[in-house]
Amino acid sequence: MIELFDVTKRFGNDTAVDGISLRIEKGELCALVGTSGCGKSTTLRMINRLIEHDGGEIHLDGQPVRNFDEVTLRRRIGYVIQSTGLFPHWTVARNIGLVPRLLKWPKGRVRERVEELMQLLGLPVAEFADKYPRQLSGGQAQRVGVARALAADPDILLMDEPFGALDPITRETLQHEMRELQARLHKTIVFVTHDMDEALALADRLVVMHQGRVVQQGRPIELLHDPVNPFVESLLGGMDRGLKEAALIRVSERMLPLGPRLLASERIAYGASLSQALSVMLWHQVDRLTVVDEEDIPIGELSLRRLLGAKAS
Amino acid sequence: MKPASLTGNRLTPLARQRLWLAPLVWLALLLLLAAGMGQLEWLFRLVEPDMREVIYRRAGFFSLLGQHILVVGAASLLAVVLGVGAAIAVTRPAGRDFLPLVSQLASIGQTFPPVAVLALAVPALGFGTLPIIVALLLYGLLPIVRNTLAGIASIDLDVHEAARGMGMTAGQVLRQVELPLAAPVILAGIRTSVTINIATAALGATVGASNLGDPIISGIVNGNTAYILQGALLIGLLAIAVDSVFERLIPGNPG
Repeated sequence: MIELFDVTKRFGNDTAVDGISLRIEKGELCALVGTSGCGKSTTLRMINRLIEHDGGEIHLDGQPVRNFDEVTLRRRIGYVIQSTGLFPHWTVARNIGLVPRLLKWPKGRVRERVEELMQLLGLPVAEFADKYPRQLSGGQAQRVGVARALAADPDILLMDEPFGALDPITRETLQHEMRELQARLHKTIVFVTHDMDEALALADRLVVMHQGRVVQQGRPIELLHDPVNPFVESLLGGMDRGLKEAALIRVSERMLPLGPRLLASERIAYGASLSQALSVMLWHQVDRLTVVDEEDIPIGELSLRRLLGAKAS
Repeated sequence: MKPASLTGNRLTPLARQRLWLAPLVWLALLLLLAAGMGQLEWLFRLVEPDMREVIYRRAGFFSLLGQHILVVGAASLLAVVLGVGAAIAVTRPAGRDFLPLVSQLASIGQTFPPVAVLALAVPALGFGTLPIIVALLLYGLLPIVRNTLAGIASIDLDVHEAARGMGMTAGQVLRQVELPLAAPVILAGIRTSVTINIATAALGATVGASNLGDPIISGIVNGNTAYILQGALLIGLLAIAVDSVFERLIPGNPG
């Protein structure tokens, strides 16, 4: 659990972070979003003390971070940055094994852990272990970056725009993998991004920051429904908010059991989102879809009315 | 520091042997010439037909070569220790205030002509080897300080940030990240410094440090071009041999 109490950071006369309070529960993925310079990165880096806070307190499992030795603290916290920051003179395997080696794990255990992580992140050991970072694609390099952060199995993971430099397709793949990884690992994650779609897709809780302050926080759906001011509303997509919300809801949550009517000709997977269902309806100019499972077997149907009406209920 | 880990290329043993061929050839030529200068009397006779002596005989070429290497070696070792040490010190958070001062001092060291340093050093340190070592040390500092600073500054800020963020201590960042990544640039600076100093060391002959500058100075004083040539040839070969060794040492520059 991470708690921030009235935390402030000034750089000269500029107040980068202005008295923010946050509570990030264990196992929660909390996304800090906002425009450039809103203090979200600074907030993140104060947690592992790459930046020292000027006022307030930051607690880790009830202990002020200032009570920890900063090196010990950082070895307990995974850290992923946008540009990966992989060491160019080290192989992939050596990069991933960094923190376990700093913690003086026995050699055999480090090797086992590195191989385990490479498999977890879809990097075949035989192919990648001896490669150097410059031989990797952007997506592969960021996978190594995530593996390195997870190496010593930290409870907490700090991610600073980890997928910001990737092309849209790779980014989406990694976001998807990130969701699956988090479903298995249940880390406490603080995730900084300026990409609202990414934040909506990944976060359990969304914290919107502006000019060093927290403007609003809550579950993604709460913010979409009830933005406190026009700034949050426009950040959340303005007129596209309806589609963004629809993107968060699965077809399976809104479908009805198969009725006596004939099956609709167009199909949609039960795991797809309402926005995708709407897109299929628009494209085929139909108002009814057959919902199918992984094996393409019909399990229900979704009508346009149900799709729309569900929002009101 | 492991050069192979920086370049990442795997060389076959044969290829690696071939890399050392050039330095070995230059070294062999240097030693051969130092040993067999006397055999080349006919050649130098062509240059100076009217001189009674055409081969410098006041001291053996081997001992002059040894002296030369000793002086340059001592000065370079000191310059590396001082230069790299100072550059590391002023790139730490505690020493950052001194960065402009140190880089200025190193620049001044090089703009100051070695002859002037000798002229000033002799009254203080007396004749002999010591003043020339001091002059070479001052003269050789700049390339080393400048390149070490540049090498450390060239490291990606994000790599530095990641190293700290992962929980490396300041010492671990320096030894495992900064120095290995800056090594090629630092070595290039040492190479420049040593090569320049091999030539400059000849000035030591004017203050009584006997080295390969002796035949040159003596040749100038007596108007004997053959002596000058003998000193110059050996200094040139020594510089090329040492330079080709550095060529092989610098990572990412295997051939």
